Amino acid sequence: MTNPAKKRLSLHLRIWRQSRTDEAGEFRDYQLQDISPDMSFLEMLDILNQQLIEQGEAPVAFDHDCREGICGTCGMMINGQAHGPDHETTTCQLHMRHFNDGDTIIIEPWRARAFPVLRDLIVNRSAFDRIIQAGGYVSIKTGQAPEGNANLIPQQHQEGSLDAAACIGCGACVAACKNASAMLFTAAKVSHFVQLPQGAPERTKRVLAMINQHDEEGFGACTNTSECEAACPAAVSVSHIARLNREYLKAMLTATD
Amino acid sequence: MNWLMNALSSSVGRKFVMALTGLFLCLFLVIHLAGNLLLYVGPETYGNYAHALHEQKAFLLLSQVLLYSAFLLHIFLAFRLTASNVTARFVSYRKKASKRDDRVVASVVAPEAWMFRSGAIVLLFLIVHLTDFKFEFGWGEVLAGQTPYGKAGVILRDFGRAIIYALGSVALGVHVSHGLASAFQSLGVSHPKYNGCVKWSSVAFGWIVAVGFASFPVIWALTAAPPSQTQPATHAQPASQVQPDAPHTHALPI
Ligand code: HEM
Ligand code: FES
Repeated sequence: MTNPAKKRLSLHLRIWRQSRTDEAGEFRDYQLQDISPDMSFLEMLDILNQQLIEQGEAPVAFDHDCREGICGTCGMMINGQAHGPDHETTTCQLHMRHFNDGDTIIIEPWRARAFPVLRDLIVNRSAFDRIIQAGGYVSIKTGQAPEGNANLIPQQHQEGSLDAAACIGCGACVAACKNASAMLFTAAKVSHFVQLPQGAPERTKRVLAMINQHDEEGFGACTNTSECEAACPAAVSVSHIARLNREYLKAMLTATD
Repeated sequence: MNWLMNALSSSVGRKFVMALTGLFLCLFLVIHLAGNLLLYVGPETYGNYAHALHEQKAFLLLSQVLLYSAFLLHIFLAFRLTASNVTARFVSYRKKASKRDDRVVASVVAPEAWMFRSGAIVLLFLIVHLTDFKFEFGWGEVLAGQTPYGKAGVILRDFGRAIIYALGSVALGVHVSHGLASAFQSLGVSHPKYNGCVKWSSVAFGWIVAVGFASFPVIWALTAAPPSQTQPATHAQPASQVQPDAPHTHALPI
C-alpha cells in the first residue's frame, strides 16, 4: 500500500436494460453508495446486482469468466469508451479508482449489427467464431508430437505472430470503430498465422475466406481512424491491418480458385 | 475478370479502389495547384500554360478520361462504403468517446470522421467549378472572348463564387489531410520507420491544398472591387501584381 485509500464512492449508473434480442430496451438509472475504489468494475456491478435482487428486480446481465483480463469474455461501453477509460485493460481489470465520487456512469452493450444484444449488456459474438471457422486454422500432420526443432522460426516472426495472437476476441475493436468494423480482429487472426511457417499452406485461401465472412456478418469497412488500436485491451496494433491488406492484395492477384 | 471484380467488391477490395483513385486524385491536385499558381506570375505566363495544355489533345483526352473515371469510382464507392458503414453500427451509442490520447482535435470533428461530409462538400464545389470553368454555364456573355487569366478573374471576383471556392478548398484540404496517409495504410504500405513521416506529410499536404487553392478566391476578392462596377480605374490587381508606383488599372486584360 503506497497510496492512501481514496474516498469511497457514491455513483449514479445509467445502464441499458433489454430482456431479449427482439424486445426494445431502455436506459435505467441506479444509485450506488459506499463503493470502494479498490473494487473492479465488475465487482461494482456485482454489488448493484445484489441490491437489485434484494429489491426484487432482475439483475443486470453481463458477460464475464476469468476476471483476470485474459479470456476476453467481459466487455461493455463505459461512458462511451470500450472497456472504460483505462488503456490496455479489460472491463474486469478496470478499477473503480478511475472514477470520482458523484460520477454518472453510462453503461451500454457493444453496438454492432453483427453483435445482436442477447440481454442487457451481453451481446452475441458468434460472428467472430464464424470468421475464425472460415480460415483461422492450419493443416498439420496429426500423430506423434513433432520434434521441437523441426520447424525453425526466426525470433522476430515468432514475436510478430505472438503480438497478433494476443487478441482475446473481446470485440472492443468493433465497439470502438465508427463503422463497427472487425478489421482489427480479422487482421490479428490473419497476421497471427501468416507469420508462422505452419500458416503458409492456407495463406491465400485464409485471407479471402475470412474477409468474405467478415463482410457477410455485416461488419463495416476500415476508415483507418485507429480507434480500435486505442481500445484494444491486448494492444493489437493497426500495423496488423496493413499486413492483412498486403495479404489480401497478394491473395487477390495469385489465388487459383 | 470475375475474380478481380469479386475481390474488389469486398470491404478490403473497395478500400483498395478508394485508395488508388484517391492517390491519383491527389496527384492531380498537385499538378492542378502548380498550374494555378502561375496565376500569380501573371496573365501571360498563365495564358501560355493554358494554351500549351490545350494544344496537347491526346494527353488532355487521356487525362480527362482517367480523371473522370477516378472521380466516378471514388464517389460511387464513397456512397457504397458509407452506407454499409452506417448500417454496420445499427444502433448508435448514447455516449461515445475516443480512447486515442494522441488526438489533437476531438474525434467528432477529426478529418477521418468527416471523410464523407468533406467529400460531399468537395463534390458540390466540383459541380460549380466545372460549370464555371469548363461549361461556362450561367455566365451569359461575360466570359466570351476572355483570356484564361481574365476568365479566372471574373469568376473569382464573384462574391458567391469566392465563398464556394474557398469553402470547397478547405474541405478538400481536410479530406486529404487524413486521406493521403489513410491510402497508404489501405494499400498495406506501413512501416514503423516511416509511418510518422507519412502521417505528418499527409497533414502538411492538407494544409498546402487548403491554403493553396483557397488563396485564389481570397486574394482576388480582397484586391478587387465587385465585378458589377465596370469603371476600370477603381480595380486593383492581385497583391503580388501590384507595383508600388504603377497606376492601378483593371486586372482583366480585356
Ligand atoms: C480531388 C478530390 C478528392 C481527393 C484527392 C480524394 C482523396 C481521397 C483519399 C486519398 C482517400 C483515402 C482512401 C483510403 O482511405 O484508403 C479518400 C477517402 C474518401 N473519399 Fe475522397 N477524395 C476526393 C474527392 C472525394 C469526393 C468528391 C467524395 C464524395 C463523397 C469523396 C469521399 C471519400 C470518402 C467517403 C472516403 C473515405 C472512405 C473510408 O475510408 O471510409 N472523396 N479520398
Ligand atoms: S472476464 Fe476474462 S477478460 Fe474480463
